[in-house]
Amino acid sequence: MEKVVIIRYAEIHLKGKNRGYFERVFTVNLERSLKGIRHELHRISGRYLIANFDEERIDEILSRVSRVFGVHSYSLGLSVPNTLDDIFAAAKSVAPQSGTFKVDTHRGDKKYSLTSMQINAEIGGRLLDENKALSVDVHAPQGYVYIDIRENGMALVFGQFFEGAGGMPVGTSGKGLLLISGGIDSPVAGYMMSKRGMNVEYLHFHSYPYTNEQAKDKVIELARLLSRYALTEKLLTVSVTHIQEEIHAKCAAELNVTLLRRFMFRIAERVAKRKEAKCLITGESLGQVASQTIEGMTSSNAVVSLPVLRPLVGFDKNEIIERAKKIGTYETSVLPFEDCCTVFLPDFPAIKPKLSFIEEEESKLDIERLVVEALNSIEEYRF
Amino acid sequence: MIYLDNAATAPLNEKAFLRAKDFITEYFYNPSARYRGGDEIARKLKSARKAVLSNIANDGFDLIFTSGGTEADNQAVFSSARRGNAVATAGEHSAVYECFTQLKSRGVEPRFAPLNRDGSVNESELLRLIDEKTTFVSVVHVNNETGAVNDICAIAKKIKSINPRIVFHSDGVQAYGKIPVRLTQDIDLYSISAHKIGALKGTGALVKNKTCNLQPLIFGGGQEGNLRSGTENTFGILCFCYAAEDILQNLRENGARLTQYREMLWELLEKPLFERISPDDGSPYILSVSAIGLKGEVLQRILWDNGVVVGTGSACSSKKPHSRVIEACGYGAKTLDGVLRLSFSPFTTQEEIKRSAFEINRAAKELKERLF
Repeated sequence: MEKVVIIRYAEIHLKGKNRGYFERVFTVNLERSLKGIRHELHRISGRYLIANFDEERIDEILSRVSRVFGVHSYSLGLSVPNTLDDIFAAAKSVAPQSGTFKVDTHRGDKKYSLTSMQINAEIGGRLLDENKALSVDVHAPQGYVYIDIRENGMALVFGQFFEGAGGMPVGTSGKGLLLISGGIDSPVAGYMMSKRGMNVEYLHFHSYPYTNEQAKDKVIELARLLSRYALTEKLLTVSVTHIQEEIHAKCAAELNVTLLRRFMFRIAERVAKRKEAKCLITGESLGQVASQTIEGMTSSNAVVSLPVLRPLVGFDKNEIIERAKKIGTYETSVLPFEDCCTVFLPDFPAIKPKLSFIEEEESKLDIERLVVEALNSIEEYRF
Repeated sequence: MIYLDNAATAPLNEKAFLRAKDFITEYFYNPSARYRGGDEIARKLKSARKAVLSNIANDGFDLIFTSGGTEADNQAVFSSARRGNAVATAGEHSAVYECFTQLKSRGVEPRFAPLNRDGSVNESELLRLIDEKTTFVSVVHVNNETGAVNDICAIAKKIKSINPRIVFHSDGVQAYGKIPVRLTQDIDLYSISAHKIGALKGTGALVKNKTCNLQPLIFGGGQEGNLRSGTENTFGILCFCYAAEDILQNLRENGARLTQYREMLWELLEKPLFERISPDDGSPYILSVSAIGLKGEVLQRILWDNGVVVGTGSACSSKKPHSRVIEACGYGAKTLDGVLRLSFSPFTTQEEIKRSAFEINRAAKELKERLF
């Protein structure tokens, strides 16, 4: 009898002839997420098993597995030879100590001598004989004993299914560049895209000395938290200080944010191309702030040719917050270190900026020089 | 690096540190232990207590060591403001101010006296707030943001003549070791802190008039006359004592020299780029100015990068957009935005004053140019 973590995967089985590729990426991701903990990863048909692991760190193993995209569900259970005696021995340690229970058998090996119903009856009966405090309730039991008869003479016995992160293995859907701020939204946007299998790289814009080091540290921490899912290893930062100063000094105040965002998109696109990323990702949500109107988004899109993915565009703030809490980034996002200095925030930002007005104001700036200067300020933080 | 943020915390007084060092290495015994080692430490603590008290108070006073100025302030407020109303100035440090905002939920009405433009309390308004139901009054000795000095002895006397049962407390954290202090009988409680004079963070004291009844905040082994339990921080306390001896010895010379430096720095700062907030007759250790229309915090970071360390308002409350205290002095948003607090130590030199004036002017001019 051996303790194992049973992992079932989500959509990978839908992928027909590409299945081998998806499974290879999934395996690599599982290995990466378990790095530093003693374990063995085995693939059996339709399942992965983590075996021979450091039992003292089981909680950590389970929490890491819970964050791997592509995992549909997982269980902590026992692997035994598929004889009834062995299965019963495992079932005893999985079954509740008292109250109602139900045995639920699944037969992966259709050649097994007993049917699922027969196994349920046999193991259930033995459990009742053994422990008088137990009774059977097949409709609403307090506890379960799941039995999974695999091929190759093995059975898995466990008491609980935990819901996995779902989605697709990170790395199976190309690469995107996330514009990450210290706020609540952008880490969630990054999460959504990596959930769909995208490799997400991070780019953060700061304006030191108008913003402080703590604001940057906060973004690094957010990126690190997000990377527990996204498996990204570094954050890039770019200084937009000079751009903000020039906009502030030369352009109409109500366009401050609109113009800055256009610069951010231009810079991001160049970074994305260097990194071979195929799209930009932002945490924008329609109408959330003045710059996130359809006019605002259009004005930013107008300066880039790469697609801009906005996975949160139809989300309400509280829906985003709920997700951020689930991912574990919310508490860090709400720390009080702002990533934009109030100097640059106009009293009345333009809500529906006209493209002609934007371009007229922008013509007062040496766009190319400012973009190149910003690109020269790139710094990299590994975590 | 030129350090002009001494009001936030002062660099270590190494002499004091070296003198106290044995008390973490060799004489580490618990002062409550009744073998000779413990007795010896207990004696040391007793003389440290005296040394810290001497020069600011007579035999009518005693002190309990605390974990710092904040704890001392908390104990003063919560021990004494237990019914009726309590009065403080709008210029209190957060360590008193935030305690006052808690009082309401404890059934005590908090009242705040307005400030004059320099940060000192408006005395007549303060006195008007006092009545027969007032149980506690707290008046900061030196305003930690502007350096304005309140004449606490005179104020305490007037307050006691209105209602002698009032407990009068003053936060002396920016005064101790920096301006002449002599506690009179009208003063009941006085908070001081070690790290503002070159000793360690995590050490402070609440000086108490022997006639004042104090309640403990922290219960346990009954140290500090049952008023503050917890094994004494012997090293911190001795460091505090030696740093105090050092700074008190040269109090007047330091004061005269730094007043001169403060004025020199003000002279060197370009006008009308800068507006002065500190009064002429305030603490020699603090010059508060505003780079009108610029952001103090941004200037602070530019200056750090150019080797000058300055403060903006109070370090403890820098997370809020404007300083509550300077706002209470009646300044508008543009002035509040640009507040810089330049604070000195006995080690500040004339050369440093000149260089920092140059850097501060340059940073402000540059920032202005970049933005407008």
